[in-house]
Amino acid sequence: MTSVPLVEAQNVAKSYGSFTALSDVSFTIGSGITGLLGANGAGKTTLLGMILGLHRCDSGSLRVMGIDPYTAGAKVREGLGYAPEHHTLPENLKASEFVRHVAELHGLPKEEANTRSSDALWLVGLGEERFRPLGTMSTGQRQRVKLAQAIAHDPDIILLDEPTDGLDPVQRDEMLDLIRRVSVEFGIHVILSSHLLDEVQQICDAAVIVGDGRVLTSGTLEDLRGSGSDVLIEIEDLDTVPLVAAGLEQAGATVMVSGRTIIATGNDDAVFDIARDVCAARNAPITRLSRRRLSLEDVFLETTAP
Amino acid sequence: MTSPEINTASTNDAQIFDRGYRSYSGVRTGVPGAIKTVISQSVRSVLGLGRSARHKVIPVVVILMTYVPAIVFVGLAALLPDEIGDGFLPTYAEYYGFIITALFLFAAFVAPELLCTDRRSGMLGVYLSSPLDRTTYLLAKLLAVMTILALVTIGPPLLLLIALSLEGSGPEGWINFFETLGRIVLAGFMVSLFFSALSMAVSATTDRKGAATATTLGLLVGSAAVGNTLVEFDYSRKFLLMDLLGLPSELAFRVHNELGNWRDIESVFVWLAVVGIIVACGSWVWLRYRSLLVRR
Repeated sequence: MTSVPLVEAQNVAKSYGSFTALSDVSFTIGSGITGLLGANGAGKTTLLGMILGLHRCDSGSLRVMGIDPYTAGAKVREGLGYAPEHHTLPENLKASEFVRHVAELHGLPKEEANTRSSDALWLVGLGEERFRPLGTMSTGQRQRVKLAQAIAHDPDIILLDEPTDGLDPVQRDEMLDLIRRVSVEFGIHVILSSHLLDEVQQICDAAVIVGDGRVLTSGTLEDLRGSGSDVLIEIEDLDTVPLVAAGLEQAGATVMVSGRTIIATGNDDAVFDIARDVCAARNAPITRLSRRRLSLEDVFLETTAP
Repeated sequence: MTSPEINTASTNDAQIFDRGYRSYSGVRTGVPGAIKTVISQSVRSVLGLGRSARHKVIPVVVILMTYVPAIVFVGLAALLPDEIGDGFLPTYAEYYGFIITALFLFAAFVAPELLCTDRRSGMLGVYLSSPLDRTTYLLAKLLAVMTILALVTIGPPLLLLIALSLEGSGPEGWINFFETLGRIVLAGFMVSLFFSALSMAVSATTDRKGAATATTLGLLVGSAAVGNTLVEFDYSRKFLLMDLLGLPSELAFRVHNELGNWRDIESVFVWLAVVGIIVACGSWVWLRYRSLLVRR
């Protein structure tokens, strides 16, 4: 685990002519797998481009492992692996040749690149297929080749742009398992750009949610899902639910009722005390009293709501 | 009864090779290494090395077209008496006249193959996410195109020099030999650079390989037609400098200190025209790539 954040953005802005791609973006990406989540056109690709040092910030600062990727692009990119979103790869090149070439591009000597390209292709399950031209491979195999070329040179961080695009559900799960394995077993940090909530929820440790060129929220999934200020109260006796709800409203909480469940929003932890007191006063036995755990979808909808 | 022999050697000698992905902590070759691998991969790709036979057809034909005259001249020089053989041997600069067609066909084929393909196949995005940036990527591609063209601009005259020297028809003495060698290398380098810059400029303008090849050929032939037509109509002879096909050959004459086909045009103008076109084409390529939105 590193003490320096892998990626740190502070008030980053980027425009192309009159189009604002990113506006006052601040976030930190730490170790493990981080999902860069957002709809198409949200600014994810611009962010990836900036992390790769391909675009300069109009204002603010961006650091990758403590280094400005725009001014020290070659040094930063040497330690990065990148799997592009598109599937168009040179058709005549054999998979092993392509992966070896990319490994050499990232500074590996020829012999080492040769060995490691083979190892990387075996790791992603294409050991037997490594001498096949890329043009003859299926979308699933190409996605694996892209992962192999991203990791062959042993980068510190890999950037994966929509790595499950075009895969069926089984292939998708296999790819996500593979990405998880690359991170956990080999200690390679992953930044995964995706518009699929499930995917991020399934394998990521943290997420940066982007929308309309802004970072809507970011943090570990644990923090994001637990960050709702709502309190969930489950009452045993259905008849007492309206009484409790009325009591909570009188005490100043905002209330939403669904069956035996009441979701109360109020000022921080005081809601817990109010809920306990109201239930005691109404003689309503509580079966559950907890902070409401949000799904990533809830977080996304909450942060992207107009 | 004897017990069957058990071949223990095979089991004892067996080794398990630990195959698997692991971390790498060795040296990294940085930008120079990246440039080197781009050059090597590009040369392999254009020459069809490691590919099926059909990928080798164009390079093999072009290389044969440029080397065969040299081999024929060397053979004739060896077989015929000196006084006859020396009479028809071309000078090193004149040799470009025999190979210029193959040379410009090759130039029109190589750069589009290397630049347009990278943009269309998404490899450019892969290159730019490596330690290379746009400038070092273009430098690597320029060196690759020049290396391939140098095979036909330096190789055949060099073969001629070595072969003629071995059979005693080459330059007299070591000093003359090395002077001629230097001129061959400089002329070949400049001709390669000229054609590389020109075809890269066209290839930077369109993503379509076929269009880039056709435009390069059209530009070379068209400029020759326009330049010569203007001179025919009694305009200044300097309009010949527009002839992009004749200009590199003429420069080769000047490098070899020979009178070329454009004798009334001073060498300084020939050099200025060549360098000016190289700089203009180079600037165009750089500007195009600087503003290129890379699809990743």
